[in-house]
Amino acid sequence: MNAPERLARPAVRKLATYCYQCVAGPDLLQVKVVDGVATEVEPNFGACDVHPGGGKVCVKAYGLVQKTYNPNRILTPMKRTNPKKGRDEDPGFVPISWDEALDTIAAKLRGIRETGLLDESGYPRVAASFGGGGTPQSYMGTFPAFLAAWGAVDMGFGSGQGVKCYHSEHLFGEYWHRGFTVSPDTPFCNYVVSCGANVEASGGVVGVWRHANARARGMKRVQVEPHLSVTGACSAEWVPIRPKTDAAFLFSLIHVMLHEAPRVRLDLAFLAHHTSSPYLVGPGGFYLREPETKKPLLWDRKRGAAVPFDTPDTDPALEGEFAAEAIEIGPDEDELGRGRLAGVPAFAKLVAHMERYSPEWASGICDVPASTMRRVANEFLDHAQVGATIEMEGKTLPFRPVAVSLGKTVSNGWGGFECAWARTVLATLVGGLEVPGGTLGTTVRLNRPLSERLESAKPGPDGFLRPPLNPTDKAHWSPRPNIRNAYRSMVPLAADGPWSQALGPTHFSWMFLDGTPEGLPKVTMPDVWFVYRTNPAISFWDTPAVVEKMSRFPFVVAFAYTRDETNHAADILLPDAGDLESLQLIRIGGSKYVEQFWEREGFALRQPAVAPQGEARDFTDVATELAQRVGLLDKYNASINKGAGGVPLKGANWDFSLAPDRAYSRDEIWDHVCRAASAELTSGAESHGLEWWKQNGLATKPFAHTDWYLFPTMVKNGLRFELPYQERLYRVGQELGRRLHEHGMHWWDKQLAEYQVLPKWKDFPGEWEQAMVSQGGTAETYPFWLLTARSMQYAWGANAGSQMMKEVAENIAGHKGVIMNTGAAVRLGIEDGDLVEIATPQRSVRARAQLRQGIRPDTLLLIGQFGHWATPHAKDFGMPSMNSLVTMSLSLTDATGSGADIVRVSVKRAPS
Amino acid sequence: MTRWAMVIDLRRCVGCQTCTAACRHANATPPGVQWRRVLDMEVGEYPDVKRAFVPVGCMHCDDPPCMDVCPSTATKKRADGIVTIDYDLCIGCAYCALACPYQARYRTDRVQFAYGEATASEEARLDPARLGVATKCTFCVERLDAGIAAGKRPGVDPDATPACVNSCISQALQFGDIDDPESNVSKLLASHQHFRMHEELGTGPGVYYVWDRAGG
Repeated sequence: MNAPERLARPAVRKLATYCYQCVAGPDLLQVKVVDGVATEVEPNFGACDVHPGGGKVCVKAYGLVQKTYNPNRILTPMKRTNPKKGRDEDPGFVPISWDEALDTIAAKLRGIRETGLLDESGYPRVAASFGGGGTPQSYMGTFPAFLAAWGAVDMGFGSGQGVKCYHSEHLFGEYWHRGFTVSPDTPFCNYVVSCGANVEASGGVVGVWRHANARARGMKRVQVEPHLSVTGACSAEWVPIRPKTDAAFLFSLIHVMLHEAPRVRLDLAFLAHHTSSPYLVGPGGFYLREPETKKPLLWDRKRGAAVPFDTPDTDPALEGEFAAEAIEIGPDEDELGRGRLAGVPAFAKLVAHMERYSPEWASGICDVPASTMRRVANEFLDHAQVGATIEMEGKTLPFRPVAVSLGKTVSNGWGGFECAWARTVLATLVGGLEVPGGTLGTTVRLNRPLSERLESAKPGPDGFLRPPLNPTDKAHWSPRPNIRNAYRSMVPLAADGPWSQALGPTHFSWMFLDGTPEGLPKVTMPDVWFVYRTNPAISFWDTPAVVEKMSRFPFVVAFAYTRDETNHAADILLPDAGDLESLQLIRIGGSKYVEQFWEREGFALRQPAVAPQGEARDFTDVATELAQRVGLLDKYNASINKGAGGVPLKGANWDFSLAPDRAYSRDEIWDHVCRAASAELTSGAESHGLEWWKQNGLATKPFAHTDWYLFPTMVKNGLRFELPYQERLYRVGQELGRRLHEHGMHWWDKQLAEYQVLPKWKDFPGEWEQAMVSQGGTAETYPFWLLTARSMQYAWGANAGSQMMKEVAENIAGHKGVIMNTGAAVRLGIEDGDLVEIATPQRSVRARAQLRQGIRPDTLLLIGQFGHWATPHAKDFGMPSMNSLVTMSLSLTDATGSGADIVRVSVKRAPS
Repeated sequence: MTRWAMVIDLRRCVGCQTCTAACRHANATPPGVQWRRVLDMEVGEYPDVKRAFVPVGCMHCDDPPCMDVCPSTATKKRADGIVTIDYDLCIGCAYCALACPYQARYRTDRVQFAYGEATASEEARLDPARLGVATKCTFCVERLDAGIAAGKRPGVDPDATPACVNSCISQALQFGDIDDPESNVSKLLASHQHFRMHEELGTGPGVYYVWDRAGG
């Protein structure tokens, strides 16, 4: 039968749904179903004017059909019969009924409720790990409502998030400009300096779409990275920088702009009126403040006097030295000085601080010619168009079409803060922060409301955005964390919202199980651990240790797609209905992750295109069953009413709330959610139910393009960007140090040094060299840097077991082995395709050498996260992962609680 | 006249293989059979090295070498430029596969499935006529013809456009009639520098590669 005949058959249906397998989504698609069998995925062409990527989906979505019918799926609930756990133990899984599975889990949970939700250390007895940068929540139906009904849950057992995310970008980006993820304003930007940002692999459909358009219209992107990634391939220029030296590169750009370019090339008005640049800094490094109001002072050239920062009609001085009647307040409200005090504008402090960081200085560190850095700095200035404006939706806004973007490993671990700061300062110097063409935050995750970025920009002290900091003052700081990774005690910037648990030092939960450092309650194993769409046994660091530790967990419940390395330690496997089999409504549009800037906002439905395979069950049904069996139905329904399904069910003039004591079916629950979503979109005018959403797939309303930019909100609220000087962070670091030392906790002292008013270059690569030396190696015997890079085909998709994904991914270099510089390989007698051994002083892995010119001679690259030993199909790949070579250690943990995917190794032909 | 052609913008392609997967989907090709795929190429020597992603497949040549060598007349060329294979006539000799300078042809001799046994979707889409014969990119000719018959415009309306073009997330792949000066592909070619692969062979490929603006 040919295609047209199939199209004509009445048994052919096309259903609209979404793909949110990675954080760069969600994207919209259609599933073609023939006689009840899903056969094809297509873009949602009907949404091409709504979705900022033309209604298209990336390669991962085309794996969904094969994913649905994968014969290796777990299709019945199963229980473990072998009480011994460990990589070498056969779990002995046997099928059981859903009733038995749910009764077993519910009995455990009821037992916990009788004992108490917290254990003897004060940690939640129930833990849950979800991977994928928060995307599993778009597949787990109302399970979040169950967790909310339950109470305290430890969601800080790292499965990759925290230590392997864009951590400094998340924490500092959100702190400085509500940019949990940060992006160039690609549709308007003309010049991008991209330090390792691999947007063509990790930016999703919208990122690829926008950058392709930008390239075609002439945007120049300079890709600064040790290997020529797919993004480097698509860039105008590749600068092969030595790993982990990006901060020096960026510092040198700032130096050129401050010490070589005329001042007038900077956006001096922006600096004076929209940043902390004119705030006077006192002898102790803290702002000089008006004694009565404690407001920071600036020097007003109009009045010839120091005035509070919010005085109208000022001409703030950016440079010079001034004396003022003031007080200087240090940590814990300590008064450091009072009276006539000398003050220097923060901008002048910056100028003096950056003098040492010339391109010539950076050249030796970065292995990049000084002339290249100087040229890039000047090109950045040339393209910035300081003074230009643009008309947009009837508003006149500054236009600065230049940006710097940062990738993973650059923006996390030691040096990450310095890079994030330098990136944001570069934008600030030309007035290119949060304006058309410039550097933008895309979304917020630490400030509420999570779906309203601009509304989250609430005023805080000193004329800045309200900082989402955990307390460090004596009255409120506590050495007794709410969860095991201790984010609230150790990482003020992690805030305390729903996402904070995943943004702390998530490796602490694993590391401290076998030895908790002084001052923290002993880290314990959770009584029950839920796992969904995550595989920390593969995706975390020091994976052999993680496997050993999770094997000691007493009761693990894994929502399981196939067998894998983490659910190898499970006691119960639950088959959840997959992407094409289950039901959920999610928010779309506005500005979301990475490069998802929409001009619409609303909701999209994921609907069952086909019946669940085997006994797989929709997550919502599982959540409702558990709520009933544990006796939490009323709280569960109340949580859904409150918005745990993504939409509050009661609004200004509508109420679709669930009755507290009734167990609703999946379709009933989502029918209520759909009606509330319709009402929210139309201010109560419409209340379309589930059937309408199934037919239409999505509904949206306009989202103003100008709402992509925070700058107008800052102006409206009279706020300044807290840049370049970091007085508050310095104070917070000092206070945190005092609190820790008061409790005998000195093991975080190295991290405390990261709290600086202006960051200094440190030998960041040396941190990883030193880690290798401490394991017994030397720079000569372990001369290579091993790095990783995103694979669009695999990233976040839980599709390592997909035949098609492997097949198509292998068209891209690096999916069959370790990428190595050809010249370096020749010197070691290694030929293309040779089996090589990559080793640290402690461990080694083997891979086939794939020789390329596009990588530094001192660098190796292992793409993605493989090394599977239990996942069907994937375990036969023969592809290792750097994760088993990377250690977890305090010394490699930065102050935000993160590390980086980098390790020093040796490489040689593997013994036959 | 109409000459269907594909124009590929190399500035846009990111090598994501979405087209590869979409083609496999739309045409239900077996594992390893990629009528559309994207090459990952590198030229130069460190540090002066360039990497490029180049989508390839059947070039639907004006003078297709595969047709010349076909002993059974299974390979034909339509008036609109599309090179076709009649599976009923093809004897599977594979001369065409050897003659094709673009390595665009496949022959699958036995049934293959992703995981050994057929899944429900594979079973639903199995086409025994494709066993033991030459196969290749068809420019999704059935979709094209059906779309045209329904009044759709190839290269503009998804229902009349090849699946790879529909799927492309960077808009690198464009399809249309290069005999129509107003078509999207004609305009793209007129305003950009371009080449065809192995032009020197005189095959007259129907796939063009754009790499910069005219005069750029």
